[in-house]
Amino acid sequence: MAGILSLLDTGTEHLILAYFLLLNTFYFLFNLVSLAGILRYRRMVTFVRFGEIFRMPIVRPISVIVPAFNEEAGILDSVRSFLSLRYPVFEVIVINDGSTDATLARLVEAFGLRPSRSVFRRSVPTQPVRGIYRSAVHPRLIVVDKVNGQKADALNAGLNISRYPLFCAVDSDSILEKDALLKVVRPFLEDPALTIGAGGVIRLSNGCVVRDGQVVEVGIPRNWIARFQILEYLRAFLGGRLGMAKMKSTLIISGAFGIFRKDIAMACGGYRADSITEDMDLVVRMQKHMHDRRTPYRIYFIPDPICWTEAPENLKVLARQRGRWHRGLVQTLFRYRRMLFNPRYGIAGMFALPFYTVFEMAGPFIEVLGYALFASHVVLGRVDYPFAVTFFFVAVFYGTFVSLLAILLEEMSAHRYPKLRDIFTLTAAGIAENLFYRQYLSLVRAGAYLDYLRGKNEWGAMEKRGFVKAGQAP
Amino acid sequence: MSKTMLSIVVLYSFAYLLLLSAALFLFIFTRRLVVEGRERKDLALYAAMEEDLLQVLTAADPRGSARAFARKHRTHVRVLKQLLVAYREALAGRSLEPLGIIFDRTMRARCLRELRSPWLATRLQNVRLFVDFSSPDEAVHVVELLNDKPVVRLAALNALTGVASPDTLGIIFELFEKDPRPNFFAYSNIFNSLGQRIEPFLRASLRKPLPPEKLALLIEMAGRLLLRGLYRDVIRFAGHGNKELRIRAARSLGRLLAPASFRTLCSLAADPAWEVQAQAIRSLGHLKDRRTVPVLNKALCSPNWHVRYNAGTALAELGLVGVLQLQEIARQKEDRYAADMAAMVLDTLVLAGGA
Repeated sequence: MAGILSLLDTGTEHLILAYFLLLNTFYFLFNLVSLAGILRYRRMVTFVRFGEIFRMPIVRPISVIVPAFNEEAGILDSVRSFLSLRYPVFEVIVINDGSTDATLARLVEAFGLRPSRSVFRRSVPTQPVRGIYRSAVHPRLIVVDKVNGQKADALNAGLNISRYPLFCAVDSDSILEKDALLKVVRPFLEDPALTIGAGGVIRLSNGCVVRDGQVVEVGIPRNWIARFQILEYLRAFLGGRLGMAKMKSTLIISGAFGIFRKDIAMACGGYRADSITEDMDLVVRMQKHMHDRRTPYRIYFIPDPICWTEAPENLKVLARQRGRWHRGLVQTLFRYRRMLFNPRYGIAGMFALPFYTVFEMAGPFIEVLGYALFASHVVLGRVDYPFAVTFFFVAVFYGTFVSLLAILLEEMSAHRYPKLRDIFTLTAAGIAENLFYRQYLSLVRAGAYLDYLRGKNEWGAMEKRGFVKAGQAP
Repeated sequence: MSKTMLSIVVLYSFAYLLLLSAALFLFIFTRRLVVEGRERKDLALYAAMEEDLLQVLTAADPRGSARAFARKHRTHVRVLKQLLVAYREALAGRSLEPLGIIFDRTMRARCLRELRSPWLATRLQNVRLFVDFSSPDEAVHVVELLNDKPVVRLAALNALTGVASPDTLGIIFELFEKDPRPNFFAYSNIFNSLGQRIEPFLRASLRKPLPPEKLALLIEMAGRLLLRGLYRDVIRFAGHGNKELRIRAARSLGRLLAPASFRTLCSLAADPAWEVQAQAIRSLGHLKDRRTVPVLNKALCSPNWHVRYNAGTALAELGLVGVLQLQEIARQKEDRYAADMAAMVLDTLVLAGGA
């Protein structure tokens, strides 16, 4: 019996080691691919004047769809930022998804909205629409007031009302940079037949200063939880997603800023109303749809259009958010399990989905298993301390190295953190996050998996502080 | 693997990772310092060059001044490129001439050499410079790139539109006809920027047995560029078996605004395909002809949302007559869908009036 337990123990140790090595090596490879991608992108866009797209006589109009639920704190800044986008033809559709706060009232007051007798086709079923508001001052703005569904339901209502062939889904607590649409739409102009979706980079607005719906001063927040998240977003978007897009393995275009072909999204039935992470669900479903019809397609990730969004600054809200993301990931991977290792679905089926299943879905369990194993060895007095300490530092520096690569990618792409001090702060965050933050998130994500199995399907409230205005202390 | 062996591997990994992380951090830090220093230097150089360029542009002899400018700044090609591209954006007409001279004297030869570079990005960058500064006799260099990868091909096409001569127009249309996977969006922008001078080439292409999607774009361009001389060529497609071609013909007829197209559009408004009906109704509105009112009224009661919407919009385009019709339809109770649509169009009119 003791022999079997010892064998099991050694086997688990080796499994954890192999997982650790493989995971970090994949991230390292993604970073290298991203680095090559960013260098190439920088050269490819030299002398491309995005203003030229603005002046093009024939462009593809875009509907910007903004679902909003209890967003009174930041909705006005966000809508102002969307209305001031530099793009020739677009409309902004804000869906007030049954907010219980003053979201609608603030919009009505700020933009001079009045009820409109618009009629639209209910192509995708949604919760009932209570009213449609338009503004004489801002003809591009449409506000839809509907009974509360979920984010996906609000997006579907926006899709029903939208008029244009491309739609851009953005979060109502986000701010788009002025040229973001011009930049992210490029694949749809250069490769219109194949491109079905494109995403840009999400950055955190914590620590930044906003004026007239635009981020005017970029900074690092004082809150360490927000700092860790800045680094996480850099790793995820510039390292992970760009690398995966280069390898044609994109499974997620963030719901905070993604642009899609409406006809394909509608052919898939729009967003799935019961989905926890509707963004990932839609991207996977669109890919499945294209593969099922044997139609070639491309999904792009563009490294320089930026969307700024607010991140939670306390562990409780962060845990709620990450728990939801993980439940959504598990839900989507379960839902599309038939695509897994199915050569019919190309790279998505043979690499992207297995990668997400092994490293993103099962990863937290393996990590938690490692911590539990270590704790049991401490209790049983079986810890080889020199080895454990060295291994711990290997883990810390492997993580730090990958974080530094992400900082390098940021420096080479958008280069938005202007102070030299920011590099030090981000590097310090890259080291410090290994001491508690990562372990905490692994526990949260492992718990979220259990929540999913228990059937938990709620969003959980997010606390919104709104953006820091010019003149206020960040 | 023995425990000792594993310990050694982990220890070495730690040492390597520590060194790698430190080296990477130093690289990022040093790179930032170098980039910032270079940016400061470039900015100062740019400001000095800009000052000189403004003097060139306002000089009594801009050609001579441009030559002197080129002599003075030819060693700083990187910054000079940025300056020329920026000023190409801001200037127009004869004031571009000095920029052309500076380009010729500082980077033209290099640019031509790099058009044949094995690196796609390099070729692309240089083709884009040609968009701004090439002259008609240089089109031959750009034509060579029309067999390159799609992104370079498009940039080359754009460059050719900048030096459009009958020869280059012929080349562009020939390329369009032969292109196995044309980017219709890009072609439509290219044709659009070429303007009405493409009429003879468009006519010749419309008479060739091209694939329907290519013909559709050509029909669309005839309407968009208001090439009324192509009216007969366009109306031919109103009876075509391909639905897409009928839609495009209906749209173009609505733009060409030939009174004779009234009958054709009326018959297209009764087409079996709702897409064709919707487009024909929209185009009938553009004609602003009172004879269209009964057809539009009928279309407002169509079971299809798009047809109803276009009919409402078309009635609104007719002015007072249309608005009165809309008000009447909005009041009636027999067809709720038509009433709702009429009310929505009237509502939009009020909003637009407010704006």
